[in-house]
Amino acid sequence: MYDRIRRIPAVALIAGALALMPISGSAQNSAKSSDTASRDRWLHVRVENPDSKDELVRVNIPLDLAEKILPTIDKDNFHNGHVKIDHFDCNGVDFPALLSAVRDAKDGEFVTVQSKEQDVRVAKQGNYFLVHVVDKEKSSKDKDAKPSRVEVRIPMKVVDALFSGKKDEVDLVAGLHALALQGDTELVSVKDHEQTVRVWLDSKNISD
Amino acid sequence: MIFVAKAALAVAGTVAAAGVYTLHDGVAQVDVDDHHGTHVHIWAPAAIVPMAMHVVPKRELHKFPHEAQQAIPILRVVAKELENYPNTEFVEVRDSNTHVRVRTVGTKVVVDVVDPETKVHVACPLAMIQDMVESLKDMREDDDSAPTV
Repeated sequence: MYDRIRRIPAVALIAGALALMPISGSAQNSAKSSDTASRDRWLHVRVENPDSKDELVRVNIPLDLAEKILPTIDKDNFHNGHVKIDHFDCNGVDFPALLSAVRDAKDGEFVTVQSKEQDVRVAKQGNYFLVHVVDKEKSSKDKDAKPSRVEVRIPMKVVDALFSGKKDEVDLVAGLHALALQGDTELVSVKDHEQTVRVWLDSKNISD
Repeated sequence: MIFVAKAALAVAGTVAAAGVYTLHDGVAQVDVDDHHGTHVHIWAPAAIVPMAMHVVPKRELHKFPHEAQQAIPILRVVAKELENYPNTEFVEVRDSNTHVRVRTVGTKVVVDVVDPETKVHVACPLAMIQDMVESLKDMREDDDSAPTV
């Protein structure tokens, strides 16, 4: 009887130690998962105001996480990772066929618009779909202001994946999946006199 | 006398073990301080929050807004997947007055909002969020399967 009672504190201590074990286990798991996470692909968004160092937006999203979250959203036009586009009117143009034609086309410029207000260039270059816009309206009014520049650079495989579903849907999950297979790349860059915006993809979990 | 001492030691050991079990999921922390004199500091063991949900009257849980119920599947995936990203900063917004950060610190999700008027710090163990979401999901499933009269 006394032996049994003598054992109780020891049993309680062992139970305490066992209860603590998951903590050390989870710490090891965290280290392992941290290694795995560093190999993942990350989408970064950074918005800065060049005149004020106080203004900053930084978003870092692992593509793997986004791919898993998107199918769980069920709201309005957003279902199962697809966005349904109402009244998708292309004036009779078969959009998938148009995309296919762009994909099969050789590198070159498809659209070039040059006006006093803005220059627009839509092109395909090295399996990337490019859109460049230079807005000269503000710089024409204020000679010190630099023109606003928008540069969009999307891998063709991502564009294909986005429109791989039904005609009136954008498949965001497929797009993200295709994006995750790409190397480090800058997707969007916007520069004007008020702010700069960068959207890019790399394998770091922080934005430099 | 020795018997009483040993019994007390056993009880103390058991209480310690129970304490360790209660705290092994971590502590949920909410701190709110503003310049009008409001100071709210809540520290609660993560393990007791899902337990407490079982004693909340169902009619109160039914007041849960529809939008919040739609968020349950999203929260479920987010809480599970964030465990793969410890010590990661997901969002930072800063301007001359306000600083907002959403990040994971170990196995907790931490939200900090600092502006000239208010300072808010919320730290929630991911395990607690997972347990809560599972409890809410189970309650919803029970309601769905309940026979209608």
